Amino acid sequence: MTAQITQSPRIGKVRGDSPRRSRRSEAPLERLHRRTFWPFAAPALLFYIVLFIAPIAFAAYTSFYKWDGLSPMKDRGLNNYRILWLDPVFHTALTNTLKILIVGGVVTFAIALALTMVLREMNHRLFARSVLFFPTLVNAMVFGIAAGFLFSPSGPVDEVLHALGWQTPPQWLSTENIFPMVMGTLIWTSTGFYTAIIMAGVDQIPQYLYEAAELDGCNAWQRFRNVTLPMAWEVISVCAVLWTVSSVNIFQLILVFGGSNSNLPPANSWNTALYVYGEAFPQASAPELGLATAAAMVALLLVAVITVLLRRLMRRERIEY
Amino acid sequence: MGRSSKTATRFLGIATVAALALGVTSCSSSAPAAGAKSGGSFTYWSMWSKDEPQAKVLQAAITAFTAKTGITVNVTWAGRNVSKEIGPAVAANKAPDLWDQNAGTVLGTLGSEGQALDLSPVLAMTIPGENVTVGSVIPAKYLTSQPKDSDGTSNYVIPYEVTAEGIFYNAADPNMQAAMSSPPTTWAGFIGVCAALKAKGEPCIASEGEDSWTNGLYFDYDLLANGVNWSALAADKTGASWDAPGVATAVNEMEQLVSGGYIVPTYTDTKYPAQETNWANDKAGFYMDGSYVTAEVSKEIPATWKMAMMLPPGVTQADVGTFGFSIPKKAKNVSAAEQFIAFFMQKSQLSGISTIADNITPRADIPAPTELASVQQALNAPTLRVDFSNTIPSDYYNKVYNQNFLDFWHGKTTAAQFIAAMKSAQVTYWQTQG
Amino acid sequence: MSIAIPSRGRRSRRRRTGPAVRIGTWLVWLFVAVDIGLLVWTFTSSLRGNNDIMNHPFGVPNSPKFGNYGKAVSDGGFGRAALNSVFTAVASSALVIALAAPCAYVLARRRTRTSSFLSMMFVLGLGVPLQVLVIPLFIGLSKVNLTDSLYGLILVYIGLAMPFTVYLLTGFFAGVPAVLEEAAVLDGAGPVRTFLSVIVPVARGGIITAFLLQIISAWNETLFALVLLHSQDKITLPVALVNFLSTEQYDGQDWGVLFAGVCIILAPMLALFSWLGSRIIQGMTVGIGK
Repeated sequence: MTAQITQSPRIGKVRGDSPRRSRRSEAPLERLHRRTFWPFAAPALLFYIVLFIAPIAFAAYTSFYKWDGLSPMKDRGLNNYRILWLDPVFHTALTNTLKILIVGGVVTFAIALALTMVLREMNHRLFARSVLFFPTLVNAMVFGIAAGFLFSPSGPVDEVLHALGWQTPPQWLSTENIFPMVMGTLIWTSTGFYTAIIMAGVDQIPQYLYEAAELDGCNAWQRFRNVTLPMAWEVISVCAVLWTVSSVNIFQLILVFGGSNSNLPPANSWNTALYVYGEAFPQASAPELGLATAAAMVALLLVAVITVLLRRLMRRERIEY
Repeated sequence: MGRSSKTATRFLGIATVAALALGVTSCSSSAPAAGAKSGGSFTYWSMWSKDEPQAKVLQAAITAFTAKTGITVNVTWAGRNVSKEIGPAVAANKAPDLWDQNAGTVLGTLGSEGQALDLSPVLAMTIPGENVTVGSVIPAKYLTSQPKDSDGTSNYVIPYEVTAEGIFYNAADPNMQAAMSSPPTTWAGFIGVCAALKAKGEPCIASEGEDSWTNGLYFDYDLLANGVNWSALAADKTGASWDAPGVATAVNEMEQLVSGGYIVPTYTDTKYPAQETNWANDKAGFYMDGSYVTAEVSKEIPATWKMAMMLPPGVTQADVGTFGFSIPKKAKNVSAAEQFIAFFMQKSQLSGISTIADNITPRADIPAPTELASVQQALNAPTLRVDFSNTIPSDYYNKVYNQNFLDFWHGKTTAAQFIAAMKSAQVTYWQTQG
Repeated sequence: MSIAIPSRGRRSRRRRTGPAVRIGTWLVWLFVAVDIGLLVWTFTSSLRGNNDIMNHPFGVPNSPKFGNYGKAVSDGGFGRAALNSVFTAVASSALVIALAAPCAYVLARRRTRTSSFLSMMFVLGLGVPLQVLVIPLFIGLSKVNLTDSLYGLILVYIGLAMPFTVYLLTGFFAGVPAVLEEAAVLDGAGPVRTFLSVIVPVARGGIITAFLLQIISAWNETLFALVLLHSQDKITLPVALVNFLSTEQYDGQDWGVLFAGVCIILAPMLALFSWLGSRIIQGMTVGIGK
């Protein structure tokens, strides 16, 4: 972060005093930044507002109406939100969203940190890291397709488990297990992603800090706690925010694991994103866009609150080294 | 990892350049050329993909139509996703002039919002080359089976393909022949057939464990056999209709299937189409589905297979599904589209649906494919009905029915628990509907 | 105490760490093997016939059906869709970088309440469930005649990518030392020149990273492509895959060809990643750490 140069004595002397002292005595760099702020920021802001903010505002507006997208809107006031309040399926969806967020997040980060420490000691670390990262790049539909074959009772996973002596493996593809399977797949793909990032961040920690800790008599765990964790904290906290915003919105994964021919997955496996989708794109009824946008607003509020909390919790002094 | 970089780079480079070049030329204009010939034109979004047999039949008809009338048809073979695209398109005033889908989907996406055109005028049109009207070759029972839209009419879809839902099996399977000499007329008889099959080591029913629709057809039919109409059952805001004795009988009968072990052992543990494949390979006896299942498994069944269908015992009316043309109200070239519908109803054109696409047509003078003979018989009944997914709202299906039924079908809840769960969920559902 | 020891070379001193790390190493290699095995399985399945796959999910192709790829390209439309995907991904990524980079630069440099507010606005955009944007965006695009058009899709992707790209690039630009800019300004360079000739080269790694990440995201995006595109010569790869999968309903289909289509979707990602993978990861962390 750059320091603000507000008053440089040298420039003040050169320019001489004048009524507009504060402006004139700006450093040229500061002036540059001030003048270029709006011209540089405007195009991006314009696109963002038109393509993103405006639709969200429209969606928020719609959440107070009953609308099927085709007929005129019918005013409902807060009725949509009342429905969400009463709807047990929405409660389940919210719970599931939080479960994915918290449980999934904790597990992902625990594994990512553990993997980071393990990977640092391995040969061919970069190759392993790249391979582990790859699942992030794969479209969710591919997982659904592959899972149908790989996890079927006659498929390779069960065959391997039988060979290892486990005769009654769980029913991977059962509708009761959609949620764990989705979590598992999400954790698997995300772990690679976050491991790669955290590992690259941990790599930047200077070696001499570890040496110093070792000389002070720290064992591996203590070194982790006292050196690695604090130094990588900034990276970890940004990853936490990224996880929050991206895990709330997964819906394709649930759709491919739990949906069948023409149906949505059963309601116990829904998260808020799927609830929104189910209301906005029903199979054989009129869309309930008002309800869908209301649910989306609730989800957005949830994310905003958690993000703010997270940033508060994880804020620390930057460690200079 | 870097060894493949050179070829990868080259591939990426060429692909990018090619794509940019092609991309620029291809997306220059998305508006179709309006009526190059004097006849005009219309846009048609089809639910079939380009290589599906129905698409081939329709494409042949389109070519013949254009040659005869000079009307250009701008067809997009959109696939099943057309149902996701039609709503936004109509909302944005970019609706096609003609599209097709399952009647229930048309109802849900456009009909119930009053955006589907009433096609009764088409019924009065004369079929080119024949001296009859469209309405005279399409039995009225197909049209009346379609649930009414918000304008109160059933004629928002003119069907060109009809399917029926029932229990399909291989009549040439020796185990089946030994267990069942003729379709059972009582539920006990059906269970008897199941037991006989089970004794021979062949599971009675193949069932995709995750699909609450095909398995729900057992329930739908069973309720019907016991005199209960599901849509009335679902519409009751107090839930008291679930206490009717017919409901309890139906649920208990279904429970016999689950607890008697008559369903393929792995049914809860697979994804579609694993169980359909099992059934097609003679690893299970019965499979409840729509009659398009014959087209779905045509490449997998052995040559000795003899497809047959029966309705569950006690059922006199088959559930029918109609697929056909619909015109959005906001369409701009309505009359051209209507002419095409009438054109396609010609025996010469429509028969391709039977001979090439392996499905049944509404016209009585086009014979059904041989493997669907028993389905045609069921469709000869004087009145037809539609299955439950057409008459209950999607929200109800997803929130009240789907999870609870799957829990029951997988044996996690008993009959009594299922009824109680449905009842309370239904009451809560209607409370939240504003 | 401050002996500067080069970090990599002395790694061997740490080998005496215990069984936990050894078990961890085995687990890592297991996962790596599973990941690679999946890719191999997808590829071999694409060379098998339909009935073969349905009956023996895990087997070796006895007579490789390279024709599956031909069918995927022509019948499934995967060939054309691949070109469309490349065009859309590259164009939307390039444009979003061009727009977001200047904005991120000034947001990183100028710390006023306005700029903090704007930064927060971009970050919050990350949490929006995208399904609610579909209908409004569709209606908006239709008013300017950009539905069923790859250009319209590119615009949508630019909008969708803006929050994350600005967020990421702000981190990168914050790490560029101010002295370089100062030098340029004192030399009399204007803002654009300063930006292009000083800032961009220094943050080049981060910019490339953001570019690649957006390509990946656009490559796999399904929902908007499904709703906005339906001319079969304009669809992108995920839409082609969905179309292909859905023909299973009512008409049955050939799973070997489906897997060929999946390979067509994965191959460019694989190529991109093996070529630039380390760069992506490295770049992300450098930016995030600031």
